[in-house]
Amino acid sequence: MTDHHKPVTEADLHAYVDGFLDEERRRDVELWLSGHPEQEAEVRQWQAQAAELQTSFAGYAQASEGDRTLLNARTATTSSPSWWRRAALIAASLTLFVSGAAAGVYGDRLLNQSTPIETAAAIDSLPGQSKTAFLVYASEKRHPVEVGADQEDHLVTWLGKRLDYKLVAPDLKSLGFSLVGGRLLPVNGKAGAMLMYQDTAGQRLTVLLGKNPENAETSFRFESAGSLETFYWIDGSIGYAVTGEVSRAKLQQIAEECYRQFET
Amino acid sequence: MPHAPDQDARVKGVNPPSADTFENQILSLVPSLRRYSRSLAKSDSDGEDLLQDCVEKVLVRRGQWRGVNLRAWAFTIMTNLYRDRHRRFTQHPSVEFNDTLGLMAEDVSGDPLQKTRLQNALNALSPDHRSVLMLVVIEGYGYQDVADMLAIPIGTVMSRLSRARRQMAAHLAENNIVTLRRPK
Repeated sequence: MTDHHKPVTEADLHAYVDGFLDEERRRDVELWLSGHPEQEAEVRQWQAQAAELQTSFAGYAQASEGDRTLLNARTATTSSPSWWRRAALIAASLTLFVSGAAAGVYGDRLLNQSTPIETAAAIDSLPGQSKTAFLVYASEKRHPVEVGADQEDHLVTWLGKRLDYKLVAPDLKSLGFSLVGGRLLPVNGKAGAMLMYQDTAGQRLTVLLGKNPENAETSFRFESAGSLETFYWIDGSIGYAVTGEVSRAKLQQIAEECYRQFET
Repeated sequence: MPHAPDQDARVKGVNPPSADTFENQILSLVPSLRRYSRSLAKSDSDGEDLLQDCVEKVLVRRGQWRGVNLRAWAFTIMTNLYRDRHRRFTQHPSVEFNDTLGLMAEDVSGDPLQKTRLQNALNALSPDHRSVLMLVVIEGYGYQDVADMLAIPIGTVMSRLSRARRQMAAHLAENNIVTLRRPK
């Protein structure tokens, strides 16, 4: 197809993402993109990015009861409103902290907020730890696990106790994987658990569970490194990671099945 | 302090806009100003501080407002304040109150991993790039509007937008992560 239209410029691509093109030009750009996969990938990325930014900040466009005091702040010209706000914040955070500690809810949140980097680092290392555990143990011939599937009840009680969590070993038979067993191992510097499964061909996968410093809930996340695929998520006080050398689609099925069974 | 002579005239509405109307107009802009300030800031409290400074400045400078597009004018003031604060902060870093007491009480539904990741990518942008990206993507301003608001050529708007988008994408793509909806 030849371009009898105006050539598509980078400015057009931005205008396309931002919805500033008229219908005809928009179609031109779409046609052009379909023949330029590299630029199309970038444009799709920009669109996703824009959508994510919009969702993230949409919630802030709200009026608040205190808004009128914003207008009055000026009348006390000698004292900086920022100073007032800071003082109010400190007072409020103290109150919230104390009452929250009693309720056991906000205190937690407050602490988490003041250490976002540490928390994020600890969480981000979960898939890394899961990959390492897989690489170390899944290739092990004689002692892949400490406690075998023949003692499943003992296994889950023991590991559950160390994790302070009602652990179940998910049944993955419907997906072709049966339990090999499990072991205790450090995750995030604390006692964690690893469960191992394998299919009839001897293909293995591991499920890692670790204490999570932050009481949080995340979406499912996926990370791949070479042929290794890892799915991970956090649910309350426990972080989970499923690692295997299987396709992403297959592993997702497995992870979802684990998620469902861990829930109950 | 001598009594401001134009005060009475303004109250009578001889000299529009009257104080009341102006302040109410500002009040109605506060939600979108709050969103913009938060999109520029590193934390909720930082965002509220910036908002407060901005409203204060808008009120102090109301005499300079030429009577058209109050929102764009306030956004320009906010952008300049943000740049100044950023410059001051980089020169004299101070301890940050990273409170959770934002008036919004946060959308608890947000995924903390995702939010941290996005916030980090944003914080890595320069103020000039970040403000252009936010004015376009979140506030929905056209490229020429942004050029006028920031008193820069439209070509500069486009190059900042490009740069911001590519930098964000690179930052977000650094770890090979795909986020999926949780099964229910």
